[in-house]
Amino acid sequence: MTYLIPLIPLLPLAGFVVTGLLGRQMGRESHQIAVWAVVASWLVAMVVAFAALAHGFGIGDGAGITLWNWIPALGFKAEMGFYVDALTGCLLIVVTTIGMLVHIYSIGYMAHDPGKWRFFAYLNLFMFSMLLLVLADNFLLVFAGWELVGLCSYLLIGFWYPRRSAAEAAKKAFLVNRVGDMGFALAIMAIWTQLGTLNMQAVFKLVEGGGLSSTWVAVVALLLFCGAVGKSAQFPLHVWLPDAMEGPTPVSALIHAATMVNAGVYLVARCNPIFGAAPGVMVVVAAIGIFTAILAASIAFTQTDIKRVLAYSTLSQLGYMFASLGVGAWTAAIFHLMSHGFFKGLLFLGSGSVIHAVGDEQDMRKMGGLARKIPITYVTMLIGSVAIAGVPPLAGFFSKDEILGGAFKSGFLWVWAIGFVVAGMTAFYMFRLMGMTFWGPSHVDPEVEQHIHESPLTMTRPLILLALPAVFLGLLIGYPPESGLLHQWLAPVFEATIAAGGRTEAAYSFLGIDGGLAIVTTLLVVTAIVAAWRLFGVDMPAIGLHAEPRPDRVREVSARRGLDFLYRGSSAKWWFDDLNNLLFVVWGGRLAGAVWWFDRVVIDGTVNGIGTVTTQAGLGLRRVQTGHVQNYALGIAIGLIAMAIGYFLIAVR
Amino acid sequence: MTLPILSLITFTPLVGVLALTVIPSRHEEIVRRTALGFALVAWGLSLLLLVAFAFGPGGFQFNETVDWIPAFGIQYKLGVDGLSVLMVVLTTTLTWISILASFGPIKERVKGYMISFLVLEVGMIGVFIALDFFLFYIFWEIVLVPMYLIIGIWGGSNRIYATMKFVLYTLVGSLLMLVAILATAFAFQAGHGGSWAGAFDYGQLQAWAAGGHFANDLQILAFLALFLAFAIKVPMFPFHTWLPDAHTEAPTAGSVILAGVLLKLGAYGLIRFAVPLYPFAAHTFAWPIIVLSVVAIVYGAIVSIVQPDLKRLVAYSSVSHMGFVTLGIFVFSATALQGAVLQMINHGLITGGLFLLVGMVYERTHDRTIAKMGGLAAAMPIWSTVFGFFILASAGLPGLSGFVGEFLIFVGSFGVAPVIALASIVVMVLAATYLLWMFQRVAFGALSDFLRGLGGHLTDISGTELVTLAPLAIGIVVLGLFPSLVLDLLRGPAQSFLAAAGVAVGG
Repeated sequence: MTYLIPLIPLLPLAGFVVTGLLGRQMGRESHQIAVWAVVASWLVAMVVAFAALAHGFGIGDGAGITLWNWIPALGFKAEMGFYVDALTGCLLIVVTTIGMLVHIYSIGYMAHDPGKWRFFAYLNLFMFSMLLLVLADNFLLVFAGWELVGLCSYLLIGFWYPRRSAAEAAKKAFLVNRVGDMGFALAIMAIWTQLGTLNMQAVFKLVEGGGLSSTWVAVVALLLFCGAVGKSAQFPLHVWLPDAMEGPTPVSALIHAATMVNAGVYLVARCNPIFGAAPGVMVVVAAIGIFTAILAASIAFTQTDIKRVLAYSTLSQLGYMFASLGVGAWTAAIFHLMSHGFFKGLLFLGSGSVIHAVGDEQDMRKMGGLARKIPITYVTMLIGSVAIAGVPPLAGFFSKDEILGGAFKSGFLWVWAIGFVVAGMTAFYMFRLMGMTFWGPSHVDPEVEQHIHESPLTMTRPLILLALPAVFLGLLIGYPPESGLLHQWLAPVFEATIAAGGRTEAAYSFLGIDGGLAIVTTLLVVTAIVAAWRLFGVDMPAIGLHAEPRPDRVREVSARRGLDFLYRGSSAKWWFDDLNNLLFVVWGGRLAGAVWWFDRVVIDGTVNGIGTVTTQAGLGLRRVQTGHVQNYALGIAIGLIAMAIGYFLIAVR
Repeated sequence: MTLPILSLITFTPLVGVLALTVIPSRHEEIVRRTALGFALVAWGLSLLLLVAFAFGPGGFQFNETVDWIPAFGIQYKLGVDGLSVLMVVLTTTLTWISILASFGPIKERVKGYMISFLVLEVGMIGVFIALDFFLFYIFWEIVLVPMYLIIGIWGGSNRIYATMKFVLYTLVGSLLMLVAILATAFAFQAGHGGSWAGAFDYGQLQAWAAGGHFANDLQILAFLALFLAFAIKVPMFPFHTWLPDAHTEAPTAGSVILAGVLLKLGAYGLIRFAVPLYPFAAHTFAWPIIVLSVVAIVYGAIVSIVQPDLKRLVAYSSVSHMGFVTLGIFVFSATALQGAVLQMINHGLITGGLFLLVGMVYERTHDRTIAKMGGLAAAMPIWSTVFGFFILASAGLPGLSGFVGEFLIFVGSFGVAPVIALASIVVMVLAATYLLWMFQRVAFGALSDFLRGLGGHLTDISGTELVTLAPLAIGIVVLGLFPSLVLDLLRGPAQSFLAAAGVAVGG
C-alpha cells in the first residue's frame, strides 16, 4: 500500500510540469491534463486514506516510505520520505476532494481568462505542495511543502498581476507568512541540535520519552506555533488573509479557506506530543486562537465585500480550531478543520458564483434579491451558512459543539465564554451576508441586472457536491459526539498525549453538561439568525417576522445605540493594517534608507577618503622633485646634519 | 607519466589566446566562436575531471609537481580535492556561459575582450588548483589584470572610477598577502635549519602548522594579512563598497564572472589557506568574523531593499549571501562548512543567472532603473518566468539549491550558538522583501510609460539567451533535490578543514 503514497503528490506535479510547459499551446483545452491529474490523485488518495482510517491494509496505525536521502551532510540528515496515518488520511480527504472540485469549478470560472493555462498549472503546483506538506515524514520536508504552498498562494493571489492591488496583496501574503516561517525554521534547527533527527515519528518518541528538557520543549513548541500563526493567519499575523481575496475566487476557496490555511492547525495537531508536553504554550495557543476568533468575527460584522466577510469568517473559524487545540480537544480541532473545509469551500465557491452572476461585483451593497435568480447558488450557500452558524444537525453544529464542550470541560471557561459569543456573532454576520446578497430588494445595477444568470454546470455541480458533506459530515463521522467515527480513527494519533496530560475524555452526556451547552449555544445561534433576519431579511408575516431591509443597517443601528466607536473600529479592521504600514513600510523604509546612507557616506566615504588622501599626498610630495641639483644637494646636506645630530645625541647618552 | 589533466584544463584557454592572436580582429564572428570553443573544451575537460575524481578518499588527487625556483623551494605544484574540483567546474561553466552571453552585447574590440576572458579563466582555475603558496599568489594576481581591463574598457559610463577602485582595493589586500606568504615561508625555513625545501609547499606548510610549529604572533599577523586580502575579495562587511560600483559598471558577463567566481576566490582562500595554516589565529578571530558575517547578512539585505538600480540591488544581495559563506566557515562546524561551499556554488549559479537576466533587460532598454520598469510579465513572459525562478532560488525556496546551502549553515551555526541563527534568520524576511518587491516593480503592473515608449524593442528572451541560463537553472534544481552530488564531494575537504582547524568532527 505504501508504494502508492508517492503517486498522490507526484500526479499533480506532473500535471504542473506538462501544463506549465505546453499549456499555452493547448488553448481552450489547457485545463484537461491538470484536472485529470488531480482526479487521478484523488482516486489514489481515497484508497490510501481509506486504508489509513481503517487502520489496516498495510498502513495500520501509520506507515511510511522513504524515497531517497535528501540532504546527507556531515552532522545533518534529512530524507525525502512520506508517512501516512489516520490524521494524514483526514487531511488527504479534505485536500484532494475539495481540490478536485475546485479544479472542476475553475473550468467554468476561468473559461474566458487568457491566462487559464497558467491558472491550472499553478493550481496543480499547489496540490503537489499541499500534499507534500501533509504527507512529509520529517520536519524539513513539511517546511518545504510549507514554503511551496506559500509560493503558490503568492502566484495565485497575484494571478491578475497587472492589477496593482493584486500584486501588493501577493507580496504581503508571502512576506507575512515568512515572518512566521522564521519561527518554524528555528524550531527545526532546535529539534535537530537537541535530538539529532528530524523524522517526526522519531522526534515524538524521543519527546514522549523525555528526551527534551522542558525548556526546550516549550521553545520548540512556541517556535512551531509561530509558523502556524503565519500560515493559518492568526493574530498578529492575520493581516495577509483578507487581502489575499485579490486572487480568483476558486483560489480563495481552495487555498485561503479549505486547505493551505489549515496547515498551521495540522502542524500543531501533528506535533501533539510536543505541544502536549508544553502546557504553558498550550495556553498561548488557546488564547491566540480564541482572540483571533472574536477579533475576526467583530470585523466580519461590518465588511461589505462578500469575499472579505468570508475571509474574516475563515480567520475566526481557524481561531476556533486553535482554541480547540489549546484546550486539548485535538480531535475536535481536526473535526472542525474538516467540516469547515467543506462548508467554507462551498461558501467561497458560492460567492464566486454570485460574483460571476452580477458581473464581477463584490460589494454586497450592490447586490440583494438574488435568491430567485440564481437558485442553486442560493440554496447551496444557505446550507453552507446554516452549517457554519452551527444549527443542528448540520456539520458545523457537531464540530463547534465539541470545541465549546471541550473548552468548558477542560476548565478553560474563558475560552468557552468567548467561543460562545463568537458562535452568536458567526450566525449573525453569515446571515447578514445572506440577507444583503440574496434577500430583500435588488440594489444591482439595472444594466447588469438583465444579464444575471445561474452559473454553468461545471460550477454548480461542485456546489451541490460540497453541500452534501456540509449537511451530513457531522452525522456521519461526528455522531455520537466524542465517540463517533472520527474519534475512533484518530484515537491512536492523540491517545498518548491525552493520557500524558492526565485527562481521559469524559463521557458525553446528553442529559448532563454537554446537552445543556449544546442547547444554550443553539438558542443563541437561532436568536442571532433571527436578529440578522430582522435587519436584512424580508417580511415574513406568517411566522411573525418583521424586517426592514436596508444594506447599511449595522452602521445605522450602532450609531443609534451610541456604538459607533465599535463600528468604526470594526470597519477599519481595528487599524492593524495602518499600524503595520507605519511600522514596517514607513519606518522600515526609513531605516533601510538610513543604512544605505551610512554605507555610502561613512563606509564608502572612508574608502574614497583614503584614496583622496593618498592622491593628495602624492601631489604634494611631487613638488619635492624639482629637478634642480641645488635643491637635492640642500636636501642631502640637511639630512647629513640631522643624522649627525642624531648620532651625537645618542652617543652622548 | 599520466595525463596532466589539471595543466590541460588550466592552459587550454591560454592556447585559445594564442589562437586568437593569429585571427585578424575584423573576423569578429570567428573570434567569438574560437573563444567559445576553447572555453567549451576547458569545460568538457573539467567535467571529465569531475567524473574521474575518486569520491571516497580525502587528500589531493591528480597531483603534478615540477620544480620551478628550487633555490627557494618554489614549485609548480597542482592538485585537487573535492572543493577544488567543484570550484573548477563552476569556473569553466560560468566562463563559457559568459563568453556566449557576450556575443550580442560586446560589439567593439571583440578580440581583446575574448582574450581577456580566456586569460581570466587561466588565473581563476589556477587559484583553485595551486598547491604551492607562491604559485597561488601568481595566479591570484593574474586574475586581476583581465578583470581590470574588462571593467575599464567594456564597462559603463563610470567605469574608470569603478575599475580603479576594484584594482587598488584588491591590490592592497594582495600585497599584504604576499608579505604574509613570505613571512610564513621564512618561519618555515628557520624551523628547518635554513632549508628552503617545502617552504611554499601547501602540504608541508599545513603539516608544520598542524604540529603547532608556527608561533602565535606570526600566526596572528599572517592571518590578519591573509584575512584582509580574502575579506576584500569575498567581500566582507565593511570592505564591500567596491563591489556595487564594480558590478554596476562591468559588462554583464563581467558581473557574472565577478559574482560567480571572483568572490569565491576569497572564500576559497579562507578555507584552503587562512584557517588551516593559522588555526590559532583563526580561532582567536572567529567570533569577530562571525559577527561581521552576521552583520553582512542582515546589512546587505537591508541595503538591497532600497536600491534603485537592478544591478546594484543584486550586488548588495551578494554581500548578504556571501556573509553566509564566511559565517559557515568560521563557526567551525562540518555541517556549516559543507553548507558554505554549497552556498558558494549556489551563489555562482543564482547570482550569475540574475546578472544575465538583468543584462538582457539592459540590452533591450539601455536602462536598469527599477522605477522605470513595470509590466514586463506581459511584455516578456518567458523572461519574466525565468527571472521569477532565479528570484525564488535566491530567496531560498525549498527544492532549489539555495535553500539547502543556507539551511545547513543555519543548522551548523545553531549547533554552535543559537544566537547566531537567531540574529541572522531575519534575512528570510528581508531577502523575500527586496527580491519580491523588485520582481513586483519590474514584472507586475501595467507596462510602464518608459517601456511603452521603447515600442517594439521588447522582444522576449532569445534561444541563445536561454542556452546561457539553462545550465544554471538545471544546476539549481538538481542540487536542490540531490545536494548529495556536492555534499559527498565535500566530506573529505570538510573533515580535513576541521582537523586542520583543530576541531573534532562527528559522523
